[in-house]
Parts: sequence; structure tokens; C-alpha cells
Amino acid sequence: MKNWLILLAGTGVLALLPLLGDNYLMRLATMVAMYVILAQSWNFIGGLAGYPSFATAGFFGLGAYTSAVLQGMGVPLFASWGAGGLAAVIFSALVGGAILHLRGHYFAIASLVTVEVLREIVNTTPDITGGGMGLNLPIMRMTVAEHATFFFYSMLAVAFACMACAIVVHKSKLGFALRCIQQNEDAANILGVNAYLYKTIGFGFSAVFAGIAGAIYASWVHYIEPPDVFDVLISVKPLVMVLLGGLGTIFGPVIGAFILLTFEEFVWRTFLTVHAAALGVIIVALVLFLPNGVLSLTREKLGLRRRAAGEKR
Amino acid sequence: MTMTHKVFSAALVASLLAFGASGAAAQDVIRIGAPLPLTGPLSPEGLKQQRGYDLWAETVNAAGGITVGDTTYPVEIVYVDYASNTPRAVQTAERLITEDRVNFLFSPFGSGAAKAASSVSERYGIPTVAATASSAEVYDQGYQYLFGTFTPNDTLTEPLSDIVTSANPDVKRVAILARNDLFPLAIAQEMEKSAQARDLEVVMFERYAIGTMDHSAAVTQMRAAQPDWVFATGYINDLILIRRQLADQGVDPAVITMIAGPAYREFIEAGGALAENVSSAAWWHPAVRYDGEDIFGTTENFNAAWEARYGGEADYAEASAAAAGAILQLAIEKAGTIEPSAVRDALASLDVETFYGHVRFGETGQITSLEPPVFQIQNSRPTVVFPEAIKQADFLFR
Repeated sequence: MKNWLILLAGTGVLALLPLLGDNYLMRLATMVAMYVILAQSWNFIGGLAGYPSFATAGFFGLGAYTSAVLQGMGVPLFASWGAGGLAAVIFSALVGGAILHLRGHYFAIASLVTVEVLREIVNTTPDITGGGMGLNLPIMRMTVAEHATFFFYSMLAVAFACMACAIVVHKSKLGFALRCIQQNEDAANILGVNAYLYKTIGFGFSAVFAGIAGAIYASWVHYIEPPDVFDVLISVKPLVMVLLGGLGTIFGPVIGAFILLTFEEFVWRTFLTVHAAALGVIIVALVLFLPNGVLSLTREKLGLRRRAAGEKR
Repeated sequence: MTMTHKVFSAALVASLLAFGASGAAAQDVIRIGAPLPLTGPLSPEGLKQQRGYDLWAETVNAAGGITVGDTTYPVEIVYVDYASNTPRAVQTAERLITEDRVNFLFSPFGSGAAKAASSVSERYGIPTVAATASSAEVYDQGYQYLFGTFTPNDTLTEPLSDIVTSANPDVKRVAILARNDLFPLAIAQEMEKSAQARDLEVVMFERYAIGTMDHSAAVTQMRAAQPDWVFATGYINDLILIRRQLADQGVDPAVITMIAGPAYREFIEAGGALAENVSSAAWWHPAVRYDGEDIFGTTENFNAAWEARYGGEADYAEASAAAAGAILQLAIEKAGTIEPSAVRDALASLDVETFYGHVRFGETGQITSLEPPVFQIQNSRPTVVFPEAIKQADFLFR
């Protein structure tokens, strides 16, 4: 219940942002929402089940290209976004079936390769995807403010859905099963948890929202090329965000998304050419000093209190 | 931990405040935004553009500024690095327009990024000059505010094909190796068309991925195809590598053409003897001679200014960046105001001579009036072989 209240309140406050009328702030907010989606998506498979997936960029790019190609064929906007998410889920089920029996580093590498494969497929089918020349999306004739507001609300709505889904999953049998898998997959199997099925479902959850986010992103920027939407950074950033916020938690990914974007923006403004190095140093420092994420600060306090309470008894 | 926590929150709050801070800008200066890849794989290209913009801005400010009606404005170029990452270039464009309040924009480097960022400047109605985007696909979206200083790609491949086929009828077989990226791929496709129009046989057409570090498979395939003419496209680092691997495998055709890179000093320095006889085409060359109405005046003047500021000669990318500024200045002076839509109209109707060549933009906003020179590296120097008026030597075959 508390989680729902936090989610509703947070979304409600963010939804007021267009009142400020600052389009660049709206762009940043849209990116935060997109980062939240990507981080929370990764959290389903990486945080809960403990499978270090690098396939996020694959889902993102697949969603982007699916919706872009469909829109080029005259499919309406929202239907094409849905199709982007659907394509990502179908792809995740097919690939998940093949690579989810791998564990640890092996799974990480296999998932990374799926991104490369998708990128190469797009590169080598120029008749459909434009190949290396990229793909244009239909331009929307609306004012600057309408454009910014529309994409902000779209991304926020998906982020909300993704968060709601996370809250439900964390409390459900699926969430329990995924946590069992993370702790000891063999034991979980012996106890009757169908690990293979649950992992695949978890992988599917990590795909659907990322795919929709990719689709919205494509419409937002009007032009996509393979190196942009299949960028390996799109796979790495969610991981960093979840680690920053707190692994396997509901609001950790949100906090991580805010922190990462804030730091990116801050560092990029302050250091004209050494921003990449500066950002790297900050991330390393954060991971060193807060290995369990920012949320661990509150959890530590709670833990102390509980222990104190136990001693009294 | 609480200490860390406090520092952390303070940093967050401070950086959030920083977002709002840099808003208002006094309107006694003309500000032009320039998103450039100053770091990352495209940084050599980004730095070239920066040199061109800087020379223009310094020249303008030394002359007092741009005169608009009764007032004279100095110019200020606001640089932001986008780390060779296209989505970041798009974000940069929006930041420059909304936060830094720039009056005009120079596009990010290359066709792909220029195209991606143009949707932002179009939405805000900010006139944008692209100094390094040639592919017709960049200008095919019906945008009103985007102008480019490079002619379409076929204006490079057509004269090249004419020269090669007329001087040496034995050249029959063409092998094309293209970087799978907007501009290099687009120009390779134009080359294929130009070759086919002249009954040349295209014996190979391969694409290589961005970031490829080994071309040996493609070069092996090329050797088997026995081409008389190798046409490779990409950016400078790709092309140096391809040239070396051609030599390693003993592929030695009558003609080697590479676009875009041989015009740069760096290509000749890195390639050494291998750079000899490599032919290319570009949109500008220091040997061209025009008598312009812009701030630089004649091409000789521009070359002298460049020599004094940086030493050596400008290449086409550097000249194009300086020309982008000079052209924008002409349009602002013609419009008599810095109001964006008036400057946009002035750009669209520009018909003027500059140090860079004659400037007239077509329907799509791309320049149509340049005659790009064809050149070849001879004795470690880019030597013009076309057009006739400025020709320095004949085309050499191996």
C-alpha cells in the first residue's frame, strides 16, 4: 500500500512539470522517465532473478525499429508503439528460451551478443530499415510545447505502468520465484519452482517496457540509426542505475535514474571535454562507497532499529 | 554514512539548481550554437569544424561585428561537446536553443547527426547551417530552416567517373567498399550509379560496419574480384586502415579513390608513400579562386588568414565551417534583422559569390551552385585535376 502511495504521489508531482513551461527541463524529465523504464525493466531479470542481462539495448532498438517501420507503412502511432513492445516480448521469449539456461558471465555475454545480432540484421536489410542510412519517422505537426508535453506524458505513462507492474510482481508468486532463483536456482528447482518458466517470464517483463520506450523514443526524435538505438550504453546504463539505487528494490531504479541523469547533465555542463572521465570517476566512487545502492542507507537504519527492538525483547 | 548522505543530497540539489540558473542572456551579441564531437571517434572532424568557426568569429569580431540595421553585434559561438553520440547531439541542440538562447545554430558533424538534430531546430524555427552534411537524404524531410554548404554526393562521383573513363578506357571493373553509415553509404551508392551509367562493371559492393578494425576479409574478396578501380568510403581512420590493408594483400589497381579523407593532411602524413596517387573529390580546395562579397573576400585572402592563424592550408571541412559562418553573416546583413524567420528567408534567397564558391541554396536547402574539385595526392600534396580552370596536373594511373 505504501508503495502505491509513493508511486502515485511521485507521478502526480512529476505530471505537474509542464506547468513550468521549460522545454529543456521537459526533455530531461522525459529522459528520466525513459531511464526509469529501462532501469526497472532490467531490474526484473537482473535485480530479482540475478541474471546480468545486457539485452536491454536490443529490446529498445527492436521496439524503435518495429514501430518506425510500421509507422512508415501507415500504422497509427499508438498501435505502432504497442507493436514495438510486442515485438520485444516475442523476441525475448525466443531468445530467452535459448540463452536463459546459461548463468553468470556466460549469460551476460550471450545477452550482449543478441544486441549485436539485431544491429547487424537492421544494418543488412536496408530495403526495410534503411540500413546504415537510418530511418525517418513521420513528422508530427504540433507546436514545440505540445510536442514536449506529449512525449513527456507518454513516457511518464509507460514509466508508471512499468513501476506498477514492478510493485505487483514484487508481491506476487512470480517475484517470489525470481528471488528464489537468485538465491539458489538448483534448490528452487528441487522445491518445485519452475525456474525456466519464471526466468523466461521475467525476461519478457524486462523486454516489453524497454520495447515500448524504444518505440516512443523513435517517434520523439524523428530519425533513428542502428548505432543510436542499439547503443551498448543503453544496456549498461540500466545496470549502473539499479546498482546506484538499490538492487532488487522497487524504487531503487527510480532513484538511480534520477542520480545518473543529474550527474550526466551536471558533469557534461561543467567539464567541456573530460566529462566522460569525470562521470566514470563519480560512478566508481558511488559504487565503492555505496555498494548496495542509495536505498541501502534507509534499509541499514531500519535494520539497526529492528535489531535494537529484538535485543529489548 | 550520514556524512556521505549529506554530501550526496547537497550535490543533487546543487546540480538541479544549476539547470535553472543559466537562463537569460543579454541580447547585445549574436549567439550561435555549435554542437560538436570534440571527444570520441569523430573528434578529429569536430576539431576541424571548430577551427573554421573560430577563424570566422575572430575575423568578424576583429572587424567590429556584424552590422544589422543601425547596430553592430559581435558574435559568440557556444560550443557543446556531444561526444560523437548522435542522441546527445539532438539533446545538445535543444539545450542550446532553450537554455543558451542562441539565435542561430550550426549543425553537428556529418549527415546522420545533422539530420537528427535538424528536427529540433526546425520545431523551434532556428535557422541552421550544416557545414558537413552532403547526402540528399538529410534534406528530404521538407524542412524550412536547414541549409547545407555541401552539394549532393553525385556532384563528386560524376566528374570523377568522367575523368577516369575518358583518360583510361581500360578501367572497366569497379570494386566499392563502403562504411555502413549515412554519408559514406550514400556516396558509394552514387558511385555505383555513376559507374553503371558509364558501362563500368561493379564487380563488388560491400558494406563494412562502423568501428571495423580489420578489413582483411573484404580486401581478400576484392583481390579475387580483380578490380581496375577501388572506391572506398568512410572517415579518415577507416580509410588509412583500408589503404594499408590493400597494400598488405597486394591489391594494386589502376585507380584508388577514397572519400572522405585524402584531402586531410593527417591522411598524407599517416599514409606516407601509400597515399600517393590516391584520388578523391571534395567540395573545396585551397587552389580554387573566387572573389567573394563575404568577410574573407577572395580565396587567397582566406588562405592567408588561415595560414596566419593556424599555419598550413585549410581543408574542405575547415573551409566549409568558416564558410557556414560567412554565409550566415551575409544572410543576417541582407535581412537587416536577427529575427529568425527573416534570416531564414534571406538564406533561402541568397545568390552571392564567396571565397568558398558561389552560394545559392536549392529547394531543399542544400547548396546547388558549387563545382566540387577532383584531386589526387601527387608528391605528398593534394593536387587538383578538375575542373580545368584550376587544374594543377593530369590524373595519374598506376
